[in-house]
Amino acid sequence: MPVPAYTFLLLSGAVFTLGAIGFMVRRNPLVVFMCIELMLNAVNLAFATMSRYLNSLDGVVFAFLVITVAAAEVVVGIAIIVQVYRAGRQMDVDELDLMKE
Amino acid sequence: MVIGFAIVAAWELVTAIGVVAFRRPMYNALSLVANMLGLAVLFLMLNAQFLFAAQIIVYAGAVMVLFVFIIALMNPQADISFRPRGTEWIYGVVFGVIFAALLGTLLFNHGLTGRLGAFTPEVIAAAGNVQTIGIALYTRFLFPVEVTSVLLLVAAVGAVYLAMRRIR
Repeated sequence: MPVPAYTFLLLSGAVFTLGAIGFMVRRNPLVVFMCIELMLNAVNLAFATMSRYLNSLDGVVFAFLVITVAAAEVVVGIAIIVQVYRAGRQMDVDELDLMKE
Repeated sequence: MVIGFAIVAAWELVTAIGVVAFRRPMYNALSLVANMLGLAVLFLMLNAQFLFAAQIIVYAGAVMVLFVFIIALMNPQADISFRPRGTEWIYGVVFGVIFAALLGTLLFNHGLTGRLGAFTPEVIAAAGNVQTIGIALYTRFLFPVEVTSVLLLVAAVGAVYLAMRRIR
C-alpha cells in the first residue's frame, strides 16, 4: 500500500513551520542558519514528493539545484559569522547592528 | 511502506524539534545531521536515489561538517547566557501555528492536481535513475545548471575574500 502524497507534503509543511519558528525564536546566528537549512530541506522534500507523484523529473532537478544553492549560501554565511565573531561582537542576532553604523 | 514512513516521519519531527529547542549549538547541529539522514531515507522512499546520494554527500557530509567544525572552533555560548528576553518567542509560536494552519487548509482544500509526466518509475528504472536525471540536467536544464555553477564560483571567491579581509 503506497503512502499518499499529502502525508509527505504535510510532513514537509510541519518541518518547514518548525524551521520558521526556530528562525524567529533563536538568537544564536549559527542556529538561525541551521533553521534556514531545515526549511530548505522541507522544500526539497516537497519537490521530491511532487516529482514522484506526477511522474516528472523537474522536482528532482530543482531539489538538486536547491541543495547546491544551500551549500553556496552556507559557505558565505558562515564566513560572515566567523568575521563577526573575530571582530569580538556578541553572538546574538538581536544585538548585531553593524550595518546601522 | 506505511510503517516505515511513520517511523521516519516521527524521526523527522523529533529531530526538527531538537534543532529548534536544544540550548547548546552542538546539539542543534547533531539534531540537524539526524534530520538530514532521515530526509535522505524519505528521498529513497520517493524513488529519488540520486537525491539520496546528493543529500548524504552534500548536506550530511559537507555542510554539516562545516557547521560542526565552526561550532567546535568558536565554542559559542549557549542561548542561556544571553540576557533573558521578553515574550518574543510567543509571537514565533503564534506565527508557526497560523502558518501551519494555512499550509494545511491549502493542501486539503485544493487537492493535488497536475499533468502527469512521462517518467513513471518503470521508465526511470529501465534507463537508470542517475542517467535519466543526468540527461535532464544537461539538456533541458542546462541553463539553470550553468547559472548554479557560476553561483558556486562566486560563493567560493566571496568566502576567500571574507576570510582574507583584515579586521579593524
